[in-house]
Amino acid sequence: MKSEEPVTKETVERLCAQAELALAPERRTRLVPMLAGLIGAANELSRKMAAAAHRSILPILRFPER
Amino acid sequence: MAQGNLLDLTIIEAAAQLERRRLSPVELTEAMLQRIGNVDKQIRAYITVCDEQAREVAGATERMIRAGYYLGPLHGIPVALKDNIYTRGVRTTAGSKILADFIPTEDATVAARLKRAGAIIVGKTNMHEFAWGGTTDNPHHGTCRNPWNPERFPAGSSGGSGAAVAARTCLGALGTDTGGSIRLPSSVNGIVGIRPTIGRVSNYNVVPLAWTMDTVSPMTRTVEDCVVMFEAIAGYDPFDEHSAHAPVADYRAELPRPVRGLRVGLVRDYSLTHVQKAVGDAVRAALKRLEELGAQVEEIAMPSIHGNISAQLTIESCEPSAYHQQWLRTRAADYGEDVRTLLELGEMYLATHYIQAQRYRSLLRKEFLEGFKRVDVFVTPTLPFTATPCGATEVVIEGNRKEDMLSAIMQFTGVPSLAGLPALSLPIGFDPDGLPVGMQVIGRPFDEGTLFRVGHAYQQATDWHTRSPRL
Repeated sequence: MKSEEPVTKETVERLCAQAELALAPERRTRLVPMLAGLIGAANELSRKMAAAAHRSILPILRFPER
Repeated sequence: MAQGNLLDLTIIEAAAQLERRRLSPVELTEAMLQRIGNVDKQIRAYITVCDEQAREVAGATERMIRAGYYLGPLHGIPVALKDNIYTRGVRTTAGSKILADFIPTEDATVAARLKRAGAIIVGKTNMHEFAWGGTTDNPHHGTCRNPWNPERFPAGSSGGSGAAVAARTCLGALGTDTGGSIRLPSSVNGIVGIRPTIGRVSNYNVVPLAWTMDTVSPMTRTVEDCVVMFEAIAGYDPFDEHSAHAPVADYRAELPRPVRGLRVGLVRDYSLTHVQKAVGDAVRAALKRLEELGAQVEEIAMPSIHGNISAQLTIESCEPSAYHQQWLRTRAADYGEDVRTLLELGEMYLATHYIQAQRYRSLLRKEFLEGFKRVDVFVTPTLPFTATPCGATEVVIEGNRKEDMLSAIMQFTGVPSLAGLPALSLPIGFDPDGLPVGMQVIGRPFDEGTLFRVGHAYQQATDWHTRSPRL
């Protein structure tokens, strides 16, 4: 999914297929506006974190003991 | 002692009487079980009441204390545990239908440590299903309600623990906190709750929500009580791979230290921004009180703080969806509609979204650690609004604009969760409708002691924590 691409029913259908998640069409339709909001915000954060100023930052999955 | 008096005892007060044998653990436990019987049909704070087991343990405790075997300040104290914390022989549903019949064969480390300290478990508390949500509007075990106004929500996901403590059905409870699930219900129920530094308290045998952010900790009426429970459960656990070796301080000994000279930080354009008026007013008044006690308040810029809600939603969506992947494909209909939808959405993020969110955590943590060179704690409201009506999915914070509850509720509590910092919520007043307001105090990694000290000093100078809901 490209960040510029709007989330549509087809997007959700494709993502469900990739995840091997069988959802009824009405459930897929219901997810579209919610996913659009979440992915829009996640893309914005991704753009920020992809900036050159942040290239040296590592993901944090476990915190140091100090 | 009259039952009303027993219900109002704090852990510290009850412990003093239990140790001197002026109060019987049987009498205290019976008072709590009777209180549960009286109010819980309305509040629904409990999924399982362990009455038989609690009475048996209370009897044994009484015999031990009478024989001179007093274990310490939790010995004989009735407590409740959130229902995602394993309890040997007692069903642990995680607020779900999927685990409705799950009876663990061993305790969570935190449950075992509380038992070892002599606490008496009176029940397992209601929660948002699998801890994935902030309302405790549970479709399988009933809607939990706020004791200050049963038409209002108790927040969540540890809403049952918050309501149980506020309703005086136990003297303290354990909750779990991923993005705010201890602090949010502590705030709206007018009690104290702490999210510890990740690794400080064991997560072993606790049903996970998001592995990289989950924590367990106490919820009580006073900071001092919170310290008593915290000291019993904190510390390294070899069974938990994320458990930290960091030494556990003598927090009770540190409590009386004054806060004079303590530096309190406000994050510019964030700490007091986009909050209901009553919430902002209460936090400003609490800051003034801390200043009167000798603290110094300073504003600090933190440019990366905006973006925290997206990072939190991304991580809290992806990690639960990984944990629930099999059940979502085999038992989807057994989830409540809201949780099922969130789990479906969590499967649709890209790996890059998740990794960028985890990188954001590093950035945010770095800015906080830099900020801690200038201040000792940061302060925010715990949540930007007071308890909303049960069942609400939207909230009005400013003007007439309705906002999505899930995003709005995380505005302040998500930040320390992401940055791996400890944060304490404590009651600081009420709104014009008589609903509690909470303040969040954020500390350096593994510096829970300073949070307790600030909270205790504030409670010594105020009486908000002594007020009780009329039920």
